[in-house]
Amino acid sequence: MTVQIEARSITKSFGHTPALRGATISAGRGEILAIMGPSGSGKSTLLHCLAGILTPDGSEVWFAGHRLDSQNEAARSTVRRDTFGFVFQFGQLVPELTAQENVALPLLLSGIRRKQALQEAQQWFPRLELEGLENRRSGELSGGQAQRVALARGMVNRPEVLFADEPTGSLDSVSGEHVMNLLTAAAREHGTTVILVTHEARIAAYADREVIVRDGLVSSLTGAEAA
Amino acid sequence: MIRLGLRLTLSGGREAAVRLMLIAAAVALGAGLLLVTLAGVNGVNAQNGRYAWLQSAGTSQSSTAIWWNLTKDDFDGQTIGRLDLAPASADPVLPPGITHLPAPGEYYASPALAALLRTTPADQLADRFPGHLAGTIGNAALPAPNTLLVLVGRTVAQVSHEPGAVKVSSIDTTTPSSCPSAAACYLRIGINANGMDLIFSVVGLALLFPVLIFIATATRLSAARREQRYAAMRLIGATSRQVSVVAAIEASVAAITGTVAAFGLFFVLRPPLATIPWTGAPFFTSDLSLSPADIALVALGVPIASAIAALLALRRVRISPLGVTRKVTPKPPRAVRMIPLLLGVVELGLVPHLVFLRGDTGRQIDVFVPGFVLVMAGLMIAGPWLTLVGSQLMARRTSRPAALIAARRLADNPKAGFRSISGLILALFVTSVAVCAITTINVHRTVASSTLAAVTVTGEYGVQPPVSADLVADVTAVPGVTGVAVARFDQAQHKLIRIGEFQSPVSLMSCAQLDRTPALGRCLAGAQVAYIPQGGLAFGLRHAQWQTTWQAAPFSAAALAKFPSDGLFVATDGTAAAIERVQTVLDRAYPDAGGWPTIAAYETSGTLPAEWQQLANVVILASIPIAGCTLAASVAGGLTDRKRAFSLLRLTGAPLRMLQGVVALEGAVPLILVAALSIAAGFGATDLFLHAQMDYGLSSPGLGYVAIVLAALVLALAIIAATFPLLARITGPETARNELEVARLRNRQIRTAC
Repeated sequence: MTVQIEARSITKSFGHTPALRGATISAGRGEILAIMGPSGSGKSTLLHCLAGILTPDGSEVWFAGHRLDSQNEAARSTVRRDTFGFVFQFGQLVPELTAQENVALPLLLSGIRRKQALQEAQQWFPRLELEGLENRRSGELSGGQAQRVALARGMVNRPEVLFADEPTGSLDSVSGEHVMNLLTAAAREHGTTVILVTHEARIAAYADREVIVRDGLVSSLTGAEAA
Repeated sequence: MIRLGLRLTLSGGREAAVRLMLIAAAVALGAGLLLVTLAGVNGVNAQNGRYAWLQSAGTSQSSTAIWWNLTKDDFDGQTIGRLDLAPASADPVLPPGITHLPAPGEYYASPALAALLRTTPADQLADRFPGHLAGTIGNAALPAPNTLLVLVGRTVAQVSHEPGAVKVSSIDTTTPSSCPSAAACYLRIGINANGMDLIFSVVGLALLFPVLIFIATATRLSAARREQRYAAMRLIGATSRQVSVVAAIEASVAAITGTVAAFGLFFVLRPPLATIPWTGAPFFTSDLSLSPADIALVALGVPIASAIAALLALRRVRISPLGVTRKVTPKPPRAVRMIPLLLGVVELGLVPHLVFLRGDTGRQIDVFVPGFVLVMAGLMIAGPWLTLVGSQLMARRTSRPAALIAARRLADNPKAGFRSISGLILALFVTSVAVCAITTINVHRTVASSTLAAVTVTGEYGVQPPVSADLVADVTAVPGVTGVAVARFDQAQHKLIRIGEFQSPVSLMSCAQLDRTPALGRCLAGAQVAYIPQGGLAFGLRHAQWQTTWQAAPFSAAALAKFPSDGLFVATDGTAAAIERVQTVLDRAYPDAGGWPTIAAYETSGTLPAEWQQLANVVILASIPIAGCTLAASVAGGLTDRKRAFSLLRLTGAPLRMLQGVVALEGAVPLILVAALSIAAGFGATDLFLHAQMDYGLSSPGLGYVAIVLAALVLALAIIAATFPLLARITGPETARNELEVARLRNRQIRTAC
């Protein structure tokens, strides 16, 4: 499998507290990779370094054959906007916009005309079982519905990599599994690489591969841990 | 609960401390402005009260009588009050500010006049006053620190023969604003009751309103962040009532801190503030005082109002026992909100035509102030609806994400969107009204400038003794004098001269002299004597633009000399020194005449008094910065409240410029929409007022007004732009990560609680 995104022995500290101490990780094109680990292990920091949100203190992050960490913030923002998609635990929807406008937002940011952006956004609503919710605001959606809208927003511009940080963290188990089913199906349909951070084994089970972060280092999951 | 509220407020970590300081600072500024406004009103009252003694009128014989003659003089455009005094009894009353009467040959001057005397050549000023400077007048007699006043000691024989001299046996203490009748205050010194009402109305409408809006905005700073804390409290079992208590305590602590700081700020800044000439003259520092009622109003009112505002704000947020906050989307404003504004316009347009008001300032205030209040309140009420309409239009048409987010946010809560610029809207309305009214009145009352830069004139008919040849020679000898003309009166003539719509009795003037004083007009070719309007400048020359070539009179120059003189006109080279020297010579010739007007003074005599223009300037200059503070507090508060949404947007790749666009449009859209309406309402309301009261059509407010409006709009945009660094800082990747972590931790708490 072609390596799509890769971190090579990266280090990152916050003040005197090291978060990553030489973490190495890679994901192939279309692969769904779960990053697990206990609280404070550095898994979110690793995701943020991979996504170009943070720049590592040492070593390198590569995406599609180009070095990401050496680019400036503006260039990394462009990569994030045009090539990556994001789903967070919650709070990522703009509360004043309707669900459909929230989904269309990445397209509008890329300069696509409003009508076309809304049409493309609309296509995701039946796919994610959100029909009839297009004109609702985030405050009028349930947690599961809001996460599916966020997923649609993350996928609407056909990202090469989708970063999902605890995407089901605020949902009950039924809603969580529903969201994960839709997420993995959409990613596989479009060949999108998914980097999934979770501390729940049943969510990680949706991934093709799982790694665990402990004390700032990445290791493959052993059989016992996987169980 | 109170103790917990205090602990949360005072020991809630760095963010809580910064929030507390921010709100306290904003409240300090707002409450400080409130104190300054109240003290300013008291200052105007105190200043006005010190005019009272000058109104002292004649009385019958008394053991305390004093001869008293108050006249007015001018120096370089400033008024000098001159009071000639002579004891008429063994124990005469004394004016305030002195302990002894000046003896004949002495005079006392106010500090400002004494300073002027020290720096001005004697032939331009000091020579007007007989004798020598023997003392300084105390502040008790001076309305303002820059008052020019002289108390001249004279003999009884001298004062008692001066026209207008009276015997005074007690010093009047009736302030000009509480005069029982116009006759009781015939000198019309100071500001009368109607004037004070007008000042209080203007200050109340134009300053207090924006200040109160600012304080209300300041207390709402970081409301969303506070709500998150309240949500956390609900999660651990606090009841709604307990949360309300904490909210009230938090708001009160910030407001009390801010109010205490405001008092400190006020007393520190009082001396420089006193130098601001609110109504044309600066104050003594002690004038800017606060009454116990003022202190109680601010010290108690601001914290109580803040606590009430916090509780009301909490009602708009539903916090469930699981700590989930959900904003209650307010009902969208409806078009009926335009009704008060329209009613205000109708009131201003109709009522003055139903009630005859001209010349009755008291009734004018009764009719027009409610109309203006209604229009201002109408703008505040209609603003959210206009914001909604504008934002809905923008949301429907835009393809830009910044415009879409801004429009949706404005449409979601147009009241909040409008609130941030409401102060500026009021300021623009006040500015439009003030500038348009003053410009129009001045345009209609100002006479076109004469050809000569400055002319010093005497000659009110029948008042002065004849102009002697010696006086003409003395005046002619003054350096800078270019011509002297003597007006004469033919008692057998009852001719009238038409000047525009008026008719005036005539005086006679030599054409040779008229040639040397071209500002008075000219003769027909070949004439030796011309008819000029009697009273000269006082009547005819104010209308010089209507007629400057005077009709020939059938007299020779030699025959003219036989007629008695009734006026003296002096042309100068226009320099202040020449004018003041002529004034001094004339003062000495006619010590009780009371000033010698220049054409320049006549040209502006019909315009609005300088103190009203100054009041308008103060209001404009104060209301725009206050509005700017409101906007700054509102924008900064909005940013911190949307920290998470904005930082996550940035994290997903939204450029900072887009977020800046959101913030700019959220301010600019309602600002431009409602500012246009506000300016139109200002013009319309002023036009209705001027038409109803003076039959004046609205004049162009001029470039100065355009500059003020542009400055206000640029100020608003600059204030919004000034928050961009804050936006960049609070939406950086680090902030977004922190927000995510905070959200994650809270979520875990909730799940655990469940």
